[in-house]
Amino acid sequence: MANTYEYLDDRLGLSDLKALADKKTVPLHRGSYWYYWGGISLFCFIVQAVTGVLLLVYYRPGPEAYESVRQITNEIHFGWLIRSAHNWAANIFLFSTFVHMFSVFFMKAYRQPREFGWWSGIALLLLGMLFGFSGYLLPMDELAYFATKVGLEIPNAIPLIGPPIANLLRGGLEVSEFTVQRFFALHAVVLPALFLPLLMFHLYLVQRHGNALPVSEEAKPAAERKSIPFFPNFLAKDLAMWLITLNVIALMASLFPWQLGPPADLLKPAPLGIKPEWYFLSQFQTLKVIGQWIPGYAGEVFGMSLFTLGLVLWFLIPVFDTRSAKGNRARMATYFGIFVLTVLGLTTLWGYLAAA
Amino acid sequence: MNYPAWEVPNIGGSWVIGIISIFHVVIAWFAVGGGLYLPLAERKAIYENKRDWLPVIRTHSRFFLVLTSVFGAISGVGIWFAIGLVHPEATSTLIHNFVFGWAIEWVFFVIELAAAAAYYYSWDRIPEKLHLKIGYLYAASSFLTLVIINGILSFMLTPGASWLSVAGTGQEASRFWEAFFNPTYFPSLMIRTLACLALAGVWALLTLARVNGEIKDSTRVSMIRWSASWLVPMFVLLPVFLVWFLAMTPANNLGLLQLGMANIGSGGFTQVTRIAMLTVITTFTIAGVVYFFAYKLPKDLTWGHAASVMFLAIIATSSTEYVRETIRKPWVIGDHMYSNGIRKSEIDGFNSEGYLTQSMWNPGRTASQVEVGKQVFRGQCMSCHTETGYRSMKRFMAQRDAASTASLLQMLKEHKPESTTSKFMPPLVGSEDEISALGAYLMTLNDQPAVVVTEKATKPSTLAKNQ
Repeated sequence: MANTYEYLDDRLGLSDLKALADKKTVPLHRGSYWYYWGGISLFCFIVQAVTGVLLLVYYRPGPEAYESVRQITNEIHFGWLIRSAHNWAANIFLFSTFVHMFSVFFMKAYRQPREFGWWSGIALLLLGMLFGFSGYLLPMDELAYFATKVGLEIPNAIPLIGPPIANLLRGGLEVSEFTVQRFFALHAVVLPALFLPLLMFHLYLVQRHGNALPVSEEAKPAAERKSIPFFPNFLAKDLAMWLITLNVIALMASLFPWQLGPPADLLKPAPLGIKPEWYFLSQFQTLKVIGQWIPGYAGEVFGMSLFTLGLVLWFLIPVFDTRSAKGNRARMATYFGIFVLTVLGLTTLWGYLAAA
Repeated sequence: MNYPAWEVPNIGGSWVIGIISIFHVVIAWFAVGGGLYLPLAERKAIYENKRDWLPVIRTHSRFFLVLTSVFGAISGVGIWFAIGLVHPEATSTLIHNFVFGWAIEWVFFVIELAAAAAYYYSWDRIPEKLHLKIGYLYAASSFLTLVIINGILSFMLTPGASWLSVAGTGQEASRFWEAFFNPTYFPSLMIRTLACLALAGVWALLTLARVNGEIKDSTRVSMIRWSASWLVPMFVLLPVFLVWFLAMTPANNLGLLQLGMANIGSGGFTQVTRIAMLTVITTFTIAGVVYFFAYKLPKDLTWGHAASVMFLAIIATSSTEYVRETIRKPWVIGDHMYSNGIRKSEIDGFNSEGYLTQSMWNPGRTASQVEVGKQVFRGQCMSCHTETGYRSMKRFMAQRDAASTASLLQMLKEHKPESTTSKFMPPLVGSEDEISALGAYLMTLNDQPAVVVTEKATKPSTLAKNQ
C-alpha cells in the first residue's frame, strides 16, 4: 500500500495535492449553506454528461428522432430512467445555477479579485440555457416542436442579426428534421466543447481564490471568523449534498418520469397552452407583454434591447459596484439584485399562470 | 357486494389506507426498535460507566413516549377504520381467521403502553436495575406486537396451501397456525426487525442532533457513533433476508416488479418498478450519509443532516411498503380474494347469476343502464380506481370509443393469463347486461359519443350521455 502510494506520488505528485487540500479551509458562518449550490450544479452537469452519453447509444437525430426516443422511453430496459434522469438533472442544474448566481451576487462574491469567476459563471449559465433549449427539441414530439418554434421567436427578435441566427439554427424557415440535426450537433458537440474548458477555468478560479466571504463577515476581526477544513469536512458535506441531489433526481425520475407526447405534426395547428421551459418563461412573458403595448417588430426589438441591456448591466456589476470592492456595504447593488430577482420571479410566475 | 362502497374522491380509498399506514409504520417500527434501544443504551450507561449518557436517554425517552403512544396508537386505530371502510370483505376474512391473534396483539399492546409510561415516569424514582427491567419489558412486548401483526400481513401475500385448501369451507380458523406461519412469515419478520433497529438509530440521531450544545461534545460523539451502529445489521443482513423473501414470493407477484423496466406507460402498472428502485437508492444513500456524517464526522452532525436521513428513511419505508402492498395484486388475500373483495370461488356464480343480484345495493329493475353500471363500478373498480384522481378512469377513457371500451371490458372479463392486465387486475365479473351497463357508465366519463356495444350482444343499446 505504502509502496503503491510512493510509486504514484513520485509520478503524479499526490502529496502536493494533499498539502493543498490540507491547507484549504471553508468559512463557516450564517450563509455557509449557499456554498453548496455551485457543487450541486457541477454534480448535475456530471449526471447529464453520463446520462447524455448513454442516450447517445440509442438516439438517432434526423427523421428517426421521435422513433428512437420512443424506443428509449417505451422499449429499452431502463431507457426511461436514463432519459428522465437526464431531463430532471438538466432542470435541477439550471435551478441550482440560478441559486448559485444570486447567492454569489448577494454575498458580493464577484468583487475583486473574483471578477472572472463571475463572468465565466454567467457564460456557463447562458450556455446551460442553450443546452436546455437545444436538448428540448431532440425528442421531436408535439410539445418539443411547438415550444422550439415559439422559443426561436426570442433570438428572431434581436435586431439585424436575429433572423439570420434563427434561420441558421432552424436550417430553414421552419423547424424540421434539419433543425433536429443542427440542434443535436449543438447539444452534443458544440456546446460541450465550449462548456468544458470554461467550466475548468471557472473551477480553477474557485480553487485559486477560495470561498468568498460576505462583506458583513469580512468586517469581523480574523479571530472571530470560523472555518472548517476543506478536507475531509467540507468535502464530505459537499458529497452528501451530491448524494441528496442524486436522490432528488431519482425521486423525480421515478414519480414523474419524463413523458413523450405524440409525434410532431408539422401541419397541425399549435395546441393551446404551448410555452417554453420555465427558464425562458420570464423572457417569453416579457416579450408578450411588451408586444401588447408596442405591437409588431418594434416591440420585439424593444424587448430584446431591454434584455440585452439588463444582461450587460448584470454582467458588468463587478465594474460598477466599487463600494463593495472596498469592503463597504453597497446597498444599491443589493437593491439592484433584489430588483432583478423580483422581476425574474414575477414574470416567470406570470408566464406560468397566464393563458398562452 | 355485502357492504356499501366508500367513495373517496381524487385519492381513492387505497391511498387513505396508504397515508395512514406509512405514517403509522414509521412510528410503530420506531416503537419496536427504539424500545430495545432505550434499555440497551441505559444498560451501557450504567454498566460501562457512561453515566453522562443518562440525561440524553431520558430526553429521548420522553420524545419516544409521546410519539409512539400518542401518534403510533392513534394511527394504528386509524388503519382499522380505513381498511374496514375500503376493504370490508378482506377485513372480515382477516378478523374471522385471526381474531385470536389480534386479541393477543392487543394484550401485548396494552403492556407496551403501560411499560412505556412506567419507564418514563420512573426515571430516578426506582432502583436503576428495576428501571432497566421495565425497559426490557417494554422491548419484549413491543417486539411481540410485531411478531403477531407480521403473521397477518404476510398471510395476505402468501396464505399458504394449507389454509387455501380449507378457504371458503368455514373451517379456516382451524388452520390458524399454518396461516400465521405462512411461507413469507420469517423473511418478513427478519426484514421488519432490521428496519425497526435501523429506524431506532435514525430517530436517536435526530434527538442527538437536537441536544447539540446542551451536552458535552464527548458524550454526543460517543452516543452518535453508537446510534449509527444500529444501522449496521440492516445493511449487512438486508440483502440476505430480501433474497429469502423474494424466493418465497410467488412468481406472479415478482413478475409485477418487472413491468416497469422497459417503459413508463400509464395503465401498464409500471410505477411499482420505479418505486422499488427508490427503495434501493434511498437505502444506499442512508448508509453513505450515516457512515460519513454520524460515524466518521460525528461532531459535524447537524439537525439538518439528521432530518435529511429521517426524510430518506421515510421515503425508503414508504416505498417499500408501497411495493409490498402493490406486488400482492391482483389479490388482497393471495389466491383467495381479489383486491376488489371478490373471492375466486364466487366468480362463476357472479358471471351466471349477475354481480348485483346478491347485492343489498342493487339499484333494481327500474334503474337506468348508467345507474346499474355505476354500481358495478363502485363494487368492482373503486377499491383501486377513482373517477378523476388516482388511477383516474376519466384519463383512461379519454381516448376510447364505445367499441374499444367494450373490447377492453371483454378482455378484463376473459382474464386470460397472457394478458398484461390479468397480472394486476381482478377479472371483471357479472352478466352481459351488467358489463354493458358498466361500459355505458364509463362512456359518460369521456367526451366520446355514448353508444355502447358489447361484443357478444347483437343489439346495440343507445344511451344519452350523462344520463
